[in-house]
Amino acid sequence: MIAAVLPRASLAALFAVFNSRFGGAEPRQSLDEEAVARLVEQARRGDAEARQALYLQHVDRVFRTVRGMLRSGADAEDVTQDAMLTVLTSLHKYSPRAGTPFAAWVATIALNTARRRFRRRRPELTATGELPEAADDRAEPEEGLDRARQRRALLIALAELPERERVIVSLRYGAELNASDIGAAVGVEAAAVRKILERARTRLGGRIEALLVRDGGMR
Amino acid sequence: MNDDQLGAAWMALQPTTGQRRRIDARVAGWLEARETTLAAEWLGLFRAAPFSAAGLVAVSALSLATAPPLAWLASALL
Repeated sequence: MIAAVLPRASLAALFAVFNSRFGGAEPRQSLDEEAVARLVEQARRGDAEARQALYLQHVDRVFRTVRGMLRSGADAEDVTQDAMLTVLTSLHKYSPRAGTPFAAWVATIALNTARRRFRRRRPELTATGELPEAADDRAEPEEGLDRARQRRALLIALAELPERERVIVSLRYGAELNASDIGAAVGVEAAAVRKILERARTRLGGRIEALLVRDGGMR
Repeated sequence: MNDDQLGAAWMALQPTTGQRRRIDARVAGWLEARETTLAAEWLGLFRAAPFSAAGLVAVSALSLATAPPLAWLASALL
């Protein structure tokens, strides 16, 4: 019902309010690249606290990224776990490049880990074009119905995008990468990434709004 | 939807408390296992359960001692 009476611009504000009130962990404040480089260096020398700081800085972001790409929360958990282990045990292979954030390296590892799953398991839509809600994605008691509804709407809308668009959108909004970094990760020109993002935003926005209105009307 | 709105909407994909707890536990467990040497594992086992650990060592030693003659006997019979 709420979604039915609110204009489109208000939907995002609604998302933000529910996220801040009922969200699991609040996103951590991003560190600048110099601070990240120091942590990486300390972690390479075996500093467990630095390694933990890097983990905490990136684990939620990796989850949000791969959750947008994969069909189930359980797959996203597995991929996040594998990707974070790869990150933490491969720090010696990381070489910072000018203008490329550490987060882009982490996101590329997450993408490659998720791709291995794409090969094994393709997203399957039901006849109505909806993803069956996995048990592990059900609302938690403290979470609130609206947030669960928003997540479900976003996941359904994402599942309807072609795989490449879903990956690019996930890297933009999950990993918070810019078009150049996304282009480098997926092997597409930055200009093409911008076009894909523009198209995907329009499709996602329309679909999410329709789903929220429909769900609101069903109440 | 513009860039900021979709960015805000994406926060709904944040892991739930349960999902995050499971990921943390698995990553921590794997890292701990990776960094614990075999000697330290055995030492820990002796500290936690000395009798069971001693029993396990005795059974292992007995198996190692009896396996070669038993294998020889089996191959001779075949």
